[in-house]
Amino acid sequence: MRNTWAVCKREFIGYFITPIGYVFTGMFALVSGLAFASSFLFFAVVTQGPTKYGYTGIPKFEETLLSPFLVFCGMLIMFIGPLLTMRLLAEERNRGTMELLLTYPLRTSEILFGKYLAALGLLLPVIAVISVHLSIMAYFVPVEPVILIFGLFAVVLMGMAFISMGLFVSAIARNQITAGTMTFGIWFVSYVLGSLGKDLPQKIPAPETWSAPVKATLGFVYSIFRQFIQELPIDAHAAEMAKGVVDPRDVVYYVLFTAFFLFLTFQALETRKWRA
Amino acid sequence: MIEVAGLTKYYGTVPAIEDLTFTVNSGEIMGFLGPNGAGKTTTMRILTGFSPASWGTAKVAGFDVKENPLEVKRRVGYLPESVPLYTEMLVTSFLRYAAEVKGVDAAKRSVEVGRVVERCGLTGMEKRVIGNLSKGYRQRVGLAQALIGNPEVLILDEPTVGLDPAQIIEIRAVIKELAREHTVLLSTHILPEVAMLCERVIILHQGHIVAQDSMRNLAGSDTMSLTVEVHGAKDAIIWKLQTVEGVRRVVPEGPEVYLVESKPKMDIREGVAKAIAAEGFGLRRLEERTRTLEDVFIEALSTEQGGMV
Repeated sequence: MRNTWAVCKREFIGYFITPIGYVFTGMFALVSGLAFASSFLFFAVVTQGPTKYGYTGIPKFEETLLSPFLVFCGMLIMFIGPLLTMRLLAEERNRGTMELLLTYPLRTSEILFGKYLAALGLLLPVIAVISVHLSIMAYFVPVEPVILIFGLFAVVLMGMAFISMGLFVSAIARNQITAGTMTFGIWFVSYVLGSLGKDLPQKIPAPETWSAPVKATLGFVYSIFRQFIQELPIDAHAAEMAKGVVDPRDVVYYVLFTAFFLFLTFQALETRKWRA
Repeated sequence: MIEVAGLTKYYGTVPAIEDLTFTVNSGEIMGFLGPNGAGKTTTMRILTGFSPASWGTAKVAGFDVKENPLEVKRRVGYLPESVPLYTEMLVTSFLRYAAEVKGVDAAKRSVEVGRVVERCGLTGMEKRVIGNLSKGYRQRVGLAQALIGNPEVLILDEPTVGLDPAQIIEIRAVIKELAREHTVLLSTHILPEVAMLCERVIILHQGHIVAQDSMRNLAGSDTMSLTVEVHGAKDAIIWKLQTVEGVRRVVPEGPEVYLVESKPKMDIREGVAKAIAAEGFGLRRLEERTRTLEDVFIEALSTEQGGMV
């Protein structure tokens, strides 16, 4: 436990003695601030004449502005998160300090969790930035606190999932650039797949002439595929939660996702140790 | 303190070391000598638990490297060859981190860091960023992190490589000093360094131990070698010298320069001089050669390859 803390502390301070911590926080503040301001203004315009924008009445504030904004914040981590995760293990390997790290009396799990928690720690400034936006908003509009809390919770869960995957890529990549690019690539592809998945038809359009068993098998495989594509992306499970509707399945999804990639990272570190 | 038996490591199908067996006693300073690629670093990496052996066992302070890696790592201070360091950190914050992960109590960390800083001559450099330090000072920081926690065993992989002559002398003095309290395993490809620092030497070549003995036994020898410079017909000189009593062999080494070796416990200086003078050759130089580690090294390598040079 103490060792985990030691690794975590060094790594976390490392973010702030190099520019990475500031760049990450700054980028997040800038982009989320722009998004917040523009959507807030847009909402204000809509309330002046909702019918012009296709609404029948004044739209619900939480649903049209707040929740999408929070999900957007989570997605923003996808774009700048590689900055945090790419260095975690790839940099150690690249500059040889892995040799120190692995010859200090540390368990693999202590290294793993130390690194993971340090990157997770960078979600603190993220939450701080979002809180600033939300407190400005709360001054103008009364919102249900439940939505705020679960919205932030969704952001944190998304961050946890993104970072665990980034850590894994960092464990297998040879250098930082590869790690960062690969991480972003994987996140982005899964995101795009997810948005395409929404448009997939319910049933596979198999020709009528095919025999029933073939169609049934195809249909079964297709339904699994469709389910997979739709459920996989990290943002898919956040949207509802950010509206204050918490389905335990969504939470379980994030926890499992994170655990899975932490497990893979652990294995990657262990096998590297035995092959190196 | 260090016991290695049958240690073998393959990288793919290429053997890096094969069937190494040796022990390093407590309080000893053992030199690991060999050309580049002999397997010194590989052996050290196995001993420090950084990479696993393919076969064989390695024990440090009674703990098997494979079965009890944490116990071994607690007792070993390691300076890797490339001296990897967290270049963005300050010297003290890095050393404090090392102290923390090596399990030094929070209350004692400052004292411990102070101790190694002084020991390694880093006083005044504590608040410098590691990345801005010169190579010599980085080497000291590397040595300092190995010393943190006062481990029983120090494994130093080429600690003087890349330093200037003055720094080399300083680092050697530090190592010599350390050997009083620690068991030291040190690798190098610089022969005089071993002669200066080590009590015992293991000579590695192509992954095999070719010689393993105390410095005294390796450097000392009961045969005498002379370098003789003589003016005259080469064949006649060789033939004449070989007939001198006690001479084992004569090897031409250059234009008019010959190496004359005696049989064990024979003084051949006078005999050689007389023989040359008697035949009327011009004797220009006659010099007893002290066996250097280099001779030992070359001899060990050549016997390994199945014959004399």
